[in-house]
Amino acid sequence: MSLSATAYVIRAEMAKTIRIYFSYPVIVVFWAIFPVLWVFPFLFQGKAMVGSGTSAAFEQLTGSGNYMAFILIGAMVSNFVFSGLWGVGNSLREETYWGTMEYIIASPTHPLIVLIGKTLAEASITTCIVFLQATIISLMPFGISFTVAKVLPVLLLVVLLMLGFYGFAIAFAGFTLLIKEVHGWVHTLEWVFFLFSPIRYPVQMNPITSFVSVLIPLTWALVAIRGIILLNQQAVGLWRITGILLGMDAALLLGGYYTFVALERKTRRDGTVGMH
Amino acid sequence: MKEAGTRPLDHSTTWPLFFRLRHYANAVWAENIKEWKLELTYPLDFLRSLIDPVVYLLPYVLYGVALVGGRFSPNLAKLVGTTDIVSFITIGYVFIGFMNMALWAMGFSLRKEQMYGTLEAVFAAPVPRWVFTMGMSMHSILHQFLMIAVQLLFVLAVFNIKVNPLGLLPALAMIGLMLVALYGIGMIMASTTLIFKQGWLISEALGSILMVVTPIAYPLAVLPVFMQKAALGVPTTYGILAARHFLLGEQMGFSVGAAFLRVAVLCVVWVVFGLVIFAAIDRSTRRSGTLSHY
Repeated sequence: MSLSATAYVIRAEMAKTIRIYFSYPVIVVFWAIFPVLWVFPFLFQGKAMVGSGTSAAFEQLTGSGNYMAFILIGAMVSNFVFSGLWGVGNSLREETYWGTMEYIIASPTHPLIVLIGKTLAEASITTCIVFLQATIISLMPFGISFTVAKVLPVLLLVVLLMLGFYGFAIAFAGFTLLIKEVHGWVHTLEWVFFLFSPIRYPVQMNPITSFVSVLIPLTWALVAIRGIILLNQQAVGLWRITGILLGMDAALLLGGYYTFVALERKTRRDGTVGMH
Repeated sequence: MKEAGTRPLDHSTTWPLFFRLRHYANAVWAENIKEWKLELTYPLDFLRSLIDPVVYLLPYVLYGVALVGGRFSPNLAKLVGTTDIVSFITIGYVFIGFMNMALWAMGFSLRKEQMYGTLEAVFAAPVPRWVFTMGMSMHSILHQFLMIAVQLLFVLAVFNIKVNPLGLLPALAMIGLMLVALYGIGMIMASTTLIFKQGWLISEALGSILMVVTPIAYPLAVLPVFMQKAALGVPTTYGILAARHFLLGEQMGFSVGAAFLRVAVLCVVWVVFGLVIFAAIDRSTRRSGTLSHY
């Protein structure tokens, strides 16, 4: 397939995914509101445990005692990870449910191209949702403010995070072709990310979670983003983290590509693509 | 004749009460066994479901420890009379698992049958539909107890949790009552999938709201007043507060008698409401002919 034909397929898949997404506007509203609502138990828990909006013990671990801002930033940034898991990793499984998977497999386009279209659509939607959340949160008294000087490096980190994670999600999509029902596995992965990356608590407080967390790009991205937003650390250490994330991105994208291609070939050979 | 098309052919309605109940109990048991068979067909997935609750619990506990800088919180002691945050959070999250059971397992019981292509067969069975959802509920409760057992084994092995052993029975009695009320909520969830088909959004939304208003890892006192009032209308509030009261000595803000009485009232309200809603939606989807729609 020529480059322009490939670009056309990607654009068509993006348009299709976005059209399906916006066919259920209530789902858009849900994703804009509920990830922020899920943070509230942590805010109330903090209020009950320490009695105020700041914690000295938390400051020792993270550099900022504002645990509310810590949790809210974790919730916003982790949206990219979970949208990758559900929107990209689970997307081919959805095509199976809709009865359209066979058409994708039989079309003269490689499924990976279709998946790239889905990934770009998912990334665009998630970016809009996170932007909406950030606007709402910055208007509330949580001590989080966004300036251009802060937003630009944060955007760079988010792009690097998304690149690597969507590589992982593409590999996961291949996994769904193989084992079919992955709903439970997606939930397990969600909770593994909650445990081993600093979405909801500073992972360095425990040696095991601290050790595992350095293998997850989300950890590096969150540490840098919180540093910029909460500690005004501007560019300190940003280049080092950018380098680490770039290395992880390369590994995850290549790994994701080869895993997907291998698993897709295997399911074709086994003749199990159309199975549920 | 008017209702003939909307109800299953249930010959047992003419039987004496004892035989009719036995007939229903057999159906509940059969449904429960069927769900276990389906579940154990995927042993790896079953194993995963037992480990999940432990992975799910830990971030909440570790977050609490990170906030306080240790295991004991003087502020929590001031609010509820107990200082041990690990025990406080663990017991809250262990028992809230039953709410997830009501919202997800029961809520999706009909959707699952629809995906398997067996919904019509189930609805044509000669028992009332609430019997079917009760069978689903039985399986979910047993599964939840298994998950709690794994959670507790892990927690007891890793954290040194001290509970009052004499409080175990009254705590379980309260949890039992909470389960009855949750069955009513589960019925509502199950029926919404008949209308909306992809009912995950409603389960997720309601589950999220209940997770905020239920005092799982915090006392009622830290919630805004309107949330405190909302919390008094959900059975999980009393289940969690009373379980912690009996096991850890948490001050609830109301007496044990009042807690039991309120949960008993909520049981009646939610179960009646759940059955009425379920029957109405079931009848409506049958009349509109949308039962088999996806």
